[in-house]
Amino acid sequence: MTIQECYAALEGDYEEVLGRLYSEALVKKFVGKFLADQSFQLLESSLNAEDYDEAFRAAHTLKGVAQNLSFTKLYRSSHEITEALRTKDCALATRLLPTVSQDYEQTVTAIQSFQSS
Amino acid sequence: MVPIREQRYTILVADDSEMNRSILRSMLEESYDIVEAEDGLQAVAILQQMEQEIALVLLDLVMPNMDGFDVLSAMNKYNWIDSVPVIMISAESTHDFIERAYNMGVTDYISRPFDMMVVRRRVINTIMLYAKQRRLAGMVNDQIYQREKVNNLMISILSHIVEFRNEESGLHVMHIQTMTEILLKSLMRKTDRYNLDRETINLIGNASTLHDVGKIGIPTEILNKPGRFTPEEFAIMKQHSQMGADMMKSVPDQEEPLVKYAYEICRWHHERYDGRGYPDGLKGEDIPISAQVVALADVYDALTSPRVYKPAHPHEKALSMILNGECGAFQPLLLECLVESSDIIQREMAEDTTARSDQRAAENAMMELSQYEELSTTDRTLRVLEQERTLHRFFTELSSDILFEYASAPPVLTLSPSGVQQLGLEATTLDPYHDKRVQELVGLDLLTELSQLLRNTTPESPVVEFHCAILLNGRTVPVHIISRSMWSADESPQYTGAIGKVELEKEVSQ
Repeated sequence: MTIQECYAALEGDYEEVLGRLYSEALVKKFVGKFLADQSFQLLESSLNAEDYDEAFRAAHTLKGVAQNLSFTKLYRSSHEITEALRTKDCALATRLLPTVSQDYEQTVTAIQSFQSS
Repeated sequence: MVPIREQRYTILVADDSEMNRSILRSMLEESYDIVEAEDGLQAVAILQQMEQEIALVLLDLVMPNMDGFDVLSAMNKYNWIDSVPVIMISAESTHDFIERAYNMGVTDYISRPFDMMVVRRRVINTIMLYAKQRRLAGMVNDQIYQREKVNNLMISILSHIVEFRNEESGLHVMHIQTMTEILLKSLMRKTDRYNLDRETINLIGNASTLHDVGKIGIPTEILNKPGRFTPEEFAIMKQHSQMGADMMKSVPDQEEPLVKYAYEICRWHHERYDGRGYPDGLKGEDIPISAQVVALADVYDALTSPRVYKPAHPHEKALSMILNGECGAFQPLLLECLVESSDIIQREMAEDTTARSDQRAAENAMMELSQYEELSTTDRTLRVLEQERTLHRFFTELSSDILFEYASAPPVLTLSPSGVQQLGLEATTLDPYHDKRVQELVGLDLLTELSQLLRNTTPESPVVEFHCAILLNGRTVPVHIISRSMWSADESPQYTGAIGKVELEKEVSQ
C-alpha cells in the first residue's frame, strides 16, 4: 500500500498535507506517529467518566492533530464533537462519539495496513 | 533560510499534543534550537528559567494545567511579553479567542493546519523584528553608557588636576563624591524637605568633586606650605571658596543643574551650620543642602586620611570628634545620616575607587535606561546575565553540596546535580509544597516553617539558618539548612523566593 492509498483508505487529503509539509518522508513519519497519539482514548475515557473539561481538551487535540495531518474525515467528526463539548452539550457529544470512534478505527486500520505492507 | 546572525535562536513550543510539537520541531529544528513544554505550567517554568534565551514562544491555547491565556497572563505579569514575542498556534479559530489573545500581547497567529512555509516565514519575521529592536536598544544603551563614562572621566580629570596641584592623591575627590552620595541617599529616606531623587543625588555627587577647584587660584607656596598658616596666609587660603564660585559663575551654561550645584558647593562648603563659617557666614538652612553635605564629607575625609601633621583617624574616632563639635557645626539630621550610614561608609571608602567609578557609570547608565520601558532588556544586560549564569551553572555542577533555588510565583524548586542525586528528586519540581515526594523527604510542617521564616526576613537581613532532620539516601539525618530570601528590586521589595544549601550536621559527618 502506498501512502496515497493509505490516505484514500482513511478518506484524507494527501495532496493537501504534502503541500504543507513539503516532504513525503515527513508525512510518512507523522502518519506513523499518529498511532501513538492517545487523544482519542482520553476523549473516550473522560466522556465515560463524565469529565467534560478533559473530554473537550482531548477532542480539541484530536481535531488539531487530524487537521495537521489532513485526515479530513476524522477531522470533521472530531471537530463536531469538540464544538458539542465546548457548549457543554453532553448528550450530543455522547451521540457523536460512535462516529468519531468509527472514523478513528478507519484511520488506524489504514495506517496499520500501510505500515505492514 | 539564512539566519542574519550566526547565533541560533531558541524557540519554546508549548502544545499539549506531542504530535503537534513534533511537527513544529521538524519544520524548525534545522535553523533553531527547540525547547518543548507539554502544558502551560511547564511553559511558565521554562520561561522563568531561561526567559532571556527564548527568542520566540509558539503557544497553543487549549492546554491542561494552565492554558495559553494563563501563560499569557504570567508573561504580562512578569513583563516577559515585552522581550519575548508569542505566536499563537491554536486549532482554536473562534474570533473571540483570537481577539483576546491579541489583546494579551501575542504578535501573530498561525492557524492550523500548519503549513511549513507559513510557519517558517512567520517565525523568522517575528524573531527578526524583535532582534532588530533589541539591537537598536543595545546601541542606545551603549551610547548612554559611553556618554556617562566620558562625563565622569572629564570631571575626574578636572578634579585630579586640582588635587595634583595640592600635592594630594585623587583619592580625596573620589571619597568626597562617595560620601556625598551616601549621605544624600540616607537623607532622602529621612525627609522630602530637599526634593532629593536619584538624579539630583547623582548630580550633586558629580559637582562635589569640584569643591576645591578654586585652589587653582591660590599661590603654590601657600597652598603647599608644610607648617601652620600665618593669619595673612590663612586669609588668602580661605579665598579658594569664593574663587571657585567665581569660576563656576563664568561657565556659560548657568542654567545647568550641575553648574548650579557646583557653584553652591564651591562657595559654601566652608560655611558652618551655626553661622561661624566663611565666606558669607550663612547660618542653618540658608546654606544649600549640597554644600552642607559636602562640608561634612570633607571634614570626615580629612579626619580619616593621613596628613603630614597627623595620622589617619579610625572611623569611630572621626565620628566622635564630629559629633562632639570639634570639627565644625552641622545640621543634626545630617549627623544622624552619618551615624546610621557608618557601615556602608566604611565599606565603600575601602573599595578601589577606580573600579567604583566604572561601576558608577554602569549604574547610572542602567538608571537612565530604566526610564525607557522599551530599552529594559538590552543586549548588554543579556550578555552580563549570560555570563553570570554560566558562572553559576559551573559552580553548581562542581559542588557536591545540595544547593537549591526556589521561585515563589509560580512555585518551582530547582536542585543542583548533587541535590538531585542525594535527594532522588527531579532537577526541577513544580509546586513543591504539594509534591508528594518533597513532602516525604522534608515533611510539610518543616517546609511551611522554613517558608514562614524566609518570608519574615527582610532584604537587609535575608539569611535564615535552620536545623532539622530530612530523609537523605533513605535515612533520616540531621541537617543544617542555610538559606537566603530573594527580593524584587521594586521600591517596596516583594519576596520572590529563596536560594540555599543543605549540609549534614557537623558532628554526624565527622
